[in-house]
Amino acid sequence: MADTDFKTWQCRTCGYLYDEAEGDPTEGLAPGTRWADIPDDWVCPLCGTPKSDFDMVEL
Amino acid sequence: MRIAQDIAETIIDPKAYAVGTPIDDAFRVLRKEAPFAIAEPTGVDPFWVVTKFDDIQLIERQNDLFHNGDRSAVLTTIEADKMVREMMGGSPHLVRSLVQMDNPDHMAYRRLTQAWFLPQNIKKLEPRIREIARSFLDRMAAFGTECDFARDVAFLYPLHVIMEILGVPESDEPKMLKLTQELFGAADPELSRSGDAAQGTEAGVNSIAETVGEFIEYFNAITEDRRANPRDDVSSVIANGQINGEPLDHFAAMSYYIIAATAGHDTTSNTTAEGLWALCNHQDELAKLKADPSLINGHIEESIRWTTAVKHFMRTATEDTEVAGQKVAKGDWLMLCYQSGNRDEDHFDDPFAYKVDRTPNKHVAFGYGAHVCLGQHLARMEMRILWEELLPRLESVELNGTPKRMESSFVCGPKSVPIRFKMN
Repeated sequence: MADTDFKTWQCRTCGYLYDEAEGDPTEGLAPGTRWADIPDDWVCPLCGTPKSDFDMVEL
Repeated sequence: MRIAQDIAETIIDPKAYAVGTPIDDAFRVLRKEAPFAIAEPTGVDPFWVVTKFDDIQLIERQNDLFHNGDRSAVLTTIEADKMVREMMGGSPHLVRSLVQMDNPDHMAYRRLTQAWFLPQNIKKLEPRIREIARSFLDRMAAFGTECDFARDVAFLYPLHVIMEILGVPESDEPKMLKLTQELFGAADPELSRSGDAAQGTEAGVNSIAETVGEFIEYFNAITEDRRANPRDDVSSVIANGQINGEPLDHFAAMSYYIIAATAGHDTTSNTTAEGLWALCNHQDELAKLKADPSLINGHIEESIRWTTAVKHFMRTATEDTEVAGQKVAKGDWLMLCYQSGNRDEDHFDDPFAYKVDRTPNKHVAFGYGAHVCLGQHLARMEMRILWEELLPRLESVELNGTPKRMESSFVCGPKSVPIRFKMN
């Protein structure tokens, strides 16, 4: 899949951004990790909001 | 379990936070011997002291089980609590900001300005904030080789940024700084409105109430102006905002301005000043940072953890529950000790070392859960810009005297960081 297809997701509580292209290595999520591949019990690293309370955003 | 009386007195002592070491020593003992236990300092209602990182997060993410607003959201004395309730018609709060709210109000009021503070919105402010940072650094360079980094740069730069965001004229910034310092420095004789350390007493409550009154008077005028002439600023959002189709409750609106105009700069100032202080004391880390600017974000995160500008918030249990294997009763008061959580040996390797490349560095300095700091992205961006601009110009820096912190057990950071430096 082309890099342009990577999406960005945002926590509704605190605004944390998860960019699929960059991943979040401090969370153990390598660059390129798709949102769908992140476990459902993962929570926002900044505020603990569940994965289900994130929105896909255009930046 | 009840914690030792001398430790209970230390963890509420504003002077101990100013020095730093007594607080770190007290929490180190508590984390080891009584990580979740009851303190009963003289003149204060008993409260649970939450010292472990995991327990702080556990409580902070259960916002229905642990309320902010049922009792005072910051530590207070029995005398001050009684007086505030008499003044405020039974409420334990002198203001009603996001910090004192619970759901559904908290979410509704937070959503009002949240979009303003999201990374994608504040990004547009970056060029202007960089201009502001450069102007303060030019001013620093103009001092020659010596200045007080806290007073001459760190206090003023975030103040100017948030006041532009609020739309407060530059000529009123000294007033905003003074009122902020009166509010957070109520226990510090050099900063308090009354000029003494009367926090927790009748005189102390009166002083804080007068400061709040002055803020309200100021922001009443701003509200009227923004209703008549809306602009692209946060004050206009508050003045013209609606909750469930109705304008904001007046007191809550005034409280909203107050929290934005105080917490919106003071904690960033504290962290910036303490960050440079830390680099002066850790020249190896400064050298590492100068050699590799990609470590700037690491330095910022470490300075946020290291400073932990907000030392505590209080929560109140809404029903009987259990924390760390102990029974907590409905109505119990809990002190979330962020500085302790950010030094927790079970969460951080070598927590008393300052490391610009600390990874991972998940801390609780901004809180956690629904009440996590609204301005955290702005704070990080302001600090990133300042360090990006300062480090390439900074040839050397060292302390030029003894730094001093504010005397406060709530929001606490340096009030003076004298430095000797060379800048290009």
